[in-house]
Amino acid sequence: MSRKPKHIKNALLFTFLLLSGQGLFNRARAQDVDYKSYSLFVYNFIKYIEWPDSKSQGDFVLGVLGDSPVIRELEKLAATKKAKGRTIVIKRFSTAEEVTECHLLYVTAGKSGTIKALRDKIKNKPMLIVGEREGLARKGASLSFVTLEDDVLKFDINKSEIELHNLKIPGTLILLGLLI
Amino acid sequence: MISPFRFKFFFALLIVWGIQNAKAQQDSTRSKPGKDSIDYYDLNLEQLMKIKGHDLPTELESLINSLISVASKKPLSTRESPSIVTLVTAEEIKNSGARDLVDVLRLVPGIDFGVDVEGVVGIAIRGNWAHEGKVLLLIDGQEMNEMLYASTQFGNHYPIDQIKRIEIIRGPGSAIYGGYAEYGVINIITQSGADINGISVAGTYGAMKDGMARQNISIAAGKKINDFEFSIAGLVGQGNRSDQVYSDFTGRTFNMAGSSSLNPNNVNIGLSWKGLSFRGIYDSYQTSVGDGYDKIPPKPYSQDFNSMFAELKYVWQINKKITITPRVNYKRQQPWLTPQSDSVAAFNILAERISANLSLSYNITRNINLVTGVEVFHDASTELDTGHFVDGSKMVNYMNYSGFLQGLVKHRIVNVIFGARYDKNSQYGDALVPRVGLTKKINRTNFKLLYSQSFRSPAIENINQALTPQGIRPERTEVIELEGGYQLTRKSLFTINIYNISTLNPIVYYVVGLNTDAYVNFGHSGTRGIETEYRTRQRWGYITANYAFYTAQGSTEVPNYQVPGNSNQLLAFPSHKINFNASINLNKHFSINPSVLFRSASYGYVTNTNPDSAALGIPLLHKFEAQVFVNLFLNCNNIFVKGLSAGIGVYDIFDQQTLFIEPYNGPHAPLPGTSRELVVRLRYDLTKEKKE
Repeated sequence: MSRKPKHIKNALLFTFLLLSGQGLFNRARAQDVDYKSYSLFVYNFIKYIEWPDSKSQGDFVLGVLGDSPVIRELEKLAATKKAKGRTIVIKRFSTAEEVTECHLLYVTAGKSGTIKALRDKIKNKPMLIVGEREGLARKGASLSFVTLEDDVLKFDINKSEIELHNLKIPGTLILLGLLI
Repeated sequence: MISPFRFKFFFALLIVWGIQNAKAQQDSTRSKPGKDSIDYYDLNLEQLMKIKGHDLPTELESLINSLISVASKKPLSTRESPSIVTLVTAEEIKNSGARDLVDVLRLVPGIDFGVDVEGVVGIAIRGNWAHEGKVLLLIDGQEMNEMLYASTQFGNHYPIDQIKRIEIIRGPGSAIYGGYAEYGVINIITQSGADINGISVAGTYGAMKDGMARQNISIAAGKKINDFEFSIAGLVGQGNRSDQVYSDFTGRTFNMAGSSSLNPNNVNIGLSWKGLSFRGIYDSYQTSVGDGYDKIPPKPYSQDFNSMFAELKYVWQINKKITITPRVNYKRQQPWLTPQSDSVAAFNILAERISANLSLSYNITRNINLVTGVEVFHDASTELDTGHFVDGSKMVNYMNYSGFLQGLVKHRIVNVIFGARYDKNSQYGDALVPRVGLTKKINRTNFKLLYSQSFRSPAIENINQALTPQGIRPERTEVIELEGGYQLTRKSLFTINIYNISTLNPIVYYVVGLNTDAYVNFGHSGTRGIETEYRTRQRWGYITANYAFYTAQGSTEVPNYQVPGNSNQLLAFPSHKINFNASINLNKHFSINPSVLFRSASYGYVTNTNPDSAALGIPLLHKFEAQVFVNLFLNCNNIFVKGLSAGIGVYDIFDQQTLFIEPYNGPHAPLPGTSRELVVRLRYDLTKEKKE
């Protein structure tokens, strides 16, 4: 038999119900990251960045390394939009080793640690590496997202990395991002 | 065998799980119509530049993620600011029907009020009497603390109708603000010209059971025209502290109804053009004293607190990374101003401060910021009546030099804030106060781990009335705080924090013999405790509920603050405090706003009126039982015409009668506050619609 007085138990029960009612055990969330905005920028990367002629035929392959809610948005993007008239195909990879050639590789936040390995693997192939997590452009990604203090979504641009992969970024896109 | 309690618990768990799953399924079917359209992908460049990284914030998220700079100079969200912070909005003040700043601050965890002498009510924080120089009160950046004792005076004083936001640091702020911010900072930001954008008039009338409580009128005008912005606001009023009877320690009584004036007069002017800004504040708080310093005087006498503040500042943004801000301030005060009368000797001392401050903010990278600067001020104080300072002179002068540095590194794992301030004063020596803070917000959770040293500068009269020939030194405090916050839903937040305050050589006020008082650095004081708060903001309104607990745990060596026989509690302030404040929208116009304050038992000295007792007239320790104050205010917005709002309510419905207890074993018996008060408010904001 418990020694706790009855009113304490009832108070505990009440508190539990109150907090539960407020979603403590719910899938309640904080202000959500708007992955739709991320996919919007990805679409603009596809739209504005120039790949070499050797990569301008066939489907546009959008690789995603790791798991992220952004995948759902990218799938919607692929279903509704074209990449300069080409079909967008999503290709998913679980590990850096699995990554094969694609036009754009989206590295989800959970796979940020693989950037260096990816860079070594891809070398100077014409692939645009986009990092979901802030700071990846400094570690070898071509572009990486950053949310500023006023919650405006931007992206860091590693211009030399982009050029190393034989890609061209136009001034329009540079205006939208932040050169590092 | 399952106990009934366990059965009830699991049954409750089952119900909750069922409801939450149903809700989750409902949520998953919701979509974002605007963003699913194909057009969304064809936004132009200008639109792309404004794309946000997160969903639209809820009202609560807008509040808790709003940027404030009170705790760090560099703006950070409240959940990442390196202090334990409470934000109070103009809407909350208006809805609650708060009569003055006391009503607003009492709802903040850990804040309480006590009486000093001569009818002056001062602030306490986390169980510590902080009236003299331990809590800095800023209005639009101007330090309200008077310079003779560094005190602030509460009760129908500061204009609350003009407040836009109050940022409260419930912890040390000396590393930024210097010697008056040892235990806390209350930063009041009034409405700018753009906020007023027209004219605003507000009137408050309050009636206690046996007399008028207040009749105040506040007027503000302001506008922003291109780069030029101006605001001018004024408050004039009359009030009374109480309608009750005060008894001093000798058993003499004084009926405060109609004779305990608290009359505010305040003008606040703000001008700005591009980076250049001017702020001027005139504040005259006129009181009548019927309780006296110790004994009730033959007749009430007047006592005024007059202040004038002026600031000229230029925010010079050299480039995106570097901002230099030079600032000069002038402060002129005649606090505790008392004319000669049959009741009391004259007190007329002028205190002036001229200060110059130069600060530099350098964004080394997007995530690394450095703020540094220097400040110099000159204090001068002049006896304007027949009195003189302890050294025989009519005037004293002090110089103070300080430098400060703050670094902020925002990292994915944790934000690190470090800083220090060094002050050197020509009279009382130097003080170096470092601080380090680790903060981070990760999705729904946030935490803060803070270590700060802080100090309290001796004020002019602390120096003048030093007990020992060695003089007075700054008192030093170490504070450790740990806060955790958890967003239960997008519309509700729960925070909890623990703290430990340890003050070495506090400046203690002593009454030495008859009519002689003095200050001395003595021993050790401090408290530790826990504070929790729950906030929710829904479509139907909002609720804020908090709980604060402190204990002295026998660490206070100052007999003046101690409760004999109870080493956990300090005089005047209850160990437990619970506040509940809600606003429920009845419809588009009407809201009903209840607030409840619970104070556990407290201790203070009272008059021994037993004529048979040998101790007649000698103060007796008394335990004041727990009290619950219930207030209710009905607010109506846009009544008849747009911008016109009216409210009516009752404070202290059950007539518990506020009592301000002296937090040190001094000369003053507990001072009554208001009894049940009927409050009526009317406000009209004539605002010109902004062109889109």
